[in-house]
Amino acid sequence: MLELHVWGPAFGLPSLDPHCLAAIAYLQQAVPRGKWQLIASCNPALSPTNELPALRNGDIWIGGFRNIFHYLAQCSAGEWVLDAGLPEQEGADCIAFSSFVESHGQPLIDLSLYVSSQNYTTTTRPLYSALLPFPLPYLTPPSIRATAKQRTAHLGLSSLDIDSDDSSPPPSQSIIPKSLRRPRNTVSSLLAASPEASAQIRLDALATAFLEPLEKLRAKKQLFVSESQFTSLDCLVLGYLSLMLVPDLPQPWLAQCLKKKFPSLCTWTEELRKTVFGPEVTVHDAFLTKLGDSELDLRLKRLRGRGHLPWKAPDDGGAVGIGSVFLGGVADGIPVVGQLRRNTRMRQHGGLTTEDGVESSSFQYLTLIAGLVAGLGAVAGYMFHQGLISFGEGEETREKEMGGGLGALGEAGAALGFYASQMDEQVRRQRVMEEMNETHGAPVAEVDVDVEVERKPL
Amino acid sequence: MPPKEATEKVAEDQSSFLRSTRKVRDFFSIPAPVKQLFDLVPVVTYPPNQVPLRAPKPARIPSLYVFSKDQDAAAGRPSFNPSCLKWQTFLNIAGVDHRLVSSNNHSSPTGSLPFLLPAIYGSNTSQDSLVPIASNKFVKYATEHGGNVEESSTMRYGAYQSLLDHRIRNAWLYTLYLEPLNFSAVAYPLYVSPTSSNSLVRASISHQLRAAAEAELLKHTSIIDTDDLYSEADKAFEALSILLGDDSWFFGNDKPALFDASVFAYTQLLLDDELGWREKKLCRALRRRANLVQHRERLLVRYFGGP
Repeated sequence: MLELHVWGPAFGLPSLDPHCLAAIAYLQQAVPRGKWQLIASCNPALSPTNELPALRNGDIWIGGFRNIFHYLAQCSAGEWVLDAGLPEQEGADCIAFSSFVESHGQPLIDLSLYVSSQNYTTTTRPLYSALLPFPLPYLTPPSIRATAKQRTAHLGLSSLDIDSDDSSPPPSQSIIPKSLRRPRNTVSSLLAASPEASAQIRLDALATAFLEPLEKLRAKKQLFVSESQFTSLDCLVLGYLSLMLVPDLPQPWLAQCLKKKFPSLCTWTEELRKTVFGPEVTVHDAFLTKLGDSELDLRLKRLRGRGHLPWKAPDDGGAVGIGSVFLGGVADGIPVVGQLRRNTRMRQHGGLTTEDGVESSSFQYLTLIAGLVAGLGAVAGYMFHQGLISFGEGEETREKEMGGGLGALGEAGAALGFYASQMDEQVRRQRVMEEMNETHGAPVAEVDVDVEVERKPL
Repeated sequence: MPPKEATEKVAEDQSSFLRSTRKVRDFFSIPAPVKQLFDLVPVVTYPPNQVPLRAPKPARIPSLYVFSKDQDAAAGRPSFNPSCLKWQTFLNIAGVDHRLVSSNNHSSPTGSLPFLLPAIYGSNTSQDSLVPIASNKFVKYATEHGGNVEESSTMRYGAYQSLLDHRIRNAWLYTLYLEPLNFSAVAYPLYVSPTSSNSLVRASISHQLRAAAEAELLKHTSIIDTDDLYSEADKAFEALSILLGDDSWFFGNDKPALFDASVFAYTQLLLDDELGWREKKLCRALRRRANLVQHRERLLVRYFGGP
């Protein structure tokens, strides 16, 4: 029995990820019923490529849509293949357009569902919260959003994400009182209220660049590549187009563009979606367990009867399983640790020879050690530096306090200081005299008298 | 103090009437001390400074800045960087005369090569005509400067271009930077050694290059799946080979165009034995498609004076 693990259902579609939808469509079309099950998962770490969809056959895990359909062809000895027997040119088109759909469709989905702040906060994030068990909604959607932003950074449309926008200065800084300020309802300010509106032209151009070749490729045909044969390209296109068309978003630029300019693609998507994915899928269909116990069997039977997709209740490994997923996510977010984890994953999967591993890792260890030494050195240096300064400062102030004690008393202090210096002078003179007396023995008495005379007026 | 203040006040009262009449006139005239100061410091405009001697001289023909070795650039041989080679080939195909300048990313205003420094025509060296042109404006530049540019606009163009820009480019990044054997044999002498002779700097630069390649690949997948990269590149070559078929140039054109240049950028470098590839998985995948190999040779003979 094959198990297909995907991100859970959303928008009435069986999954909220285009590649998961494509994989579902592929298995639905290629693999006979009863030979596979569909599981709504929340743990991409299960798959060797660390992404969903993932296919499980006993102990073998296969990750990623392309790998899945290659594996299906392999394990069924060429039986469960959709692309077999295509004419040469159509086969080439299938390869080229698959790459095109992935490279041009993914940024559109990213922008529409994840980068756009309004769509993300009102629709996508709540969906993930409904799908994922407790601590994961705090971790998984933001990380998916971060990668989506990274992927679309080169398009220069980050203005859709108004969370990170801090370009407009706070109005309180203005010196003009509030009552005298004119309301600034300029065109640009109205547009700025919704970043989607100001980016509308760019977004439309992006969407059209993606959809136009697709529409031309399909032309009058039933399916994208051939008239009758359902191919892997159709699976991919169905996955992407249904995620563009179906979701009801607060900023519906993508669906609007699709409906307005490419109505034939819309009808194609709607029809195929019904035949492949069946009627609207809800979270309850996928998780089965959400229903009351007494009702469960009834419901299950009904599901099997009308059920279009062979859902199976997910086994997320209880609190321990979820906890490990959560901790894994947290660890991936920590700079150095996350990098090391990614590297080990890559090495495990890539199956690099030991020689390569040694060479690449020796540099990593070197940098790691160098980093550690440098870090320790910096900390030590900082502490030493801080310590020295505080010590020196203390000494200086103490000296200043002692030296400036009398000066701080003002005029009186100055007078006292004069007095003190006079006293000092006298004492010094006295000491010199005494020394002289010691060296020359004779005039002792005279000097003694002299000193006594001098002392009297004081 | 108080008496002085009083006399001042009186004087002020007396002169206030006089001053108010003069005020209008004074408003437009320059105050005397300021005028004296300005007379002392006349405004002189100095001629602009000379450009340093090692600065590039304005040339009669446009200069294309690419990754290349100095002697290769002088001979007009293909650059060793795919995107530079693509545009170099495009300019050759379009018939835009240019000279090559060996350079690196630091010299580019956009941070990436190639870019084109336009030629100076006659004496009207206005500042605008000397602005460097980034590679995305080359097609426009070529059409404006008498190059023959033909753009085929079939629906397949974008799709097959995406094969080059993603599938083959990703495999290229992996095979050049992340295959340790190839990195030390090919990328190191081309990209790292010319920058510095200091081994620490070299180590840091090679680390940066590899990290950048890895980050680029990880944008689209969560881990780097080597088998997938190579098998996808193999399929991409297969598709391109089918697209070319028995034609001389892509899309059945009677002469080469930008798409041919884009394909040539990778096929030339993968088939060039002088680069000394050590891990040849990607090269083998390409060599299996005979018509792509011939396509590369045709372009090499026609625009770069043979192998």
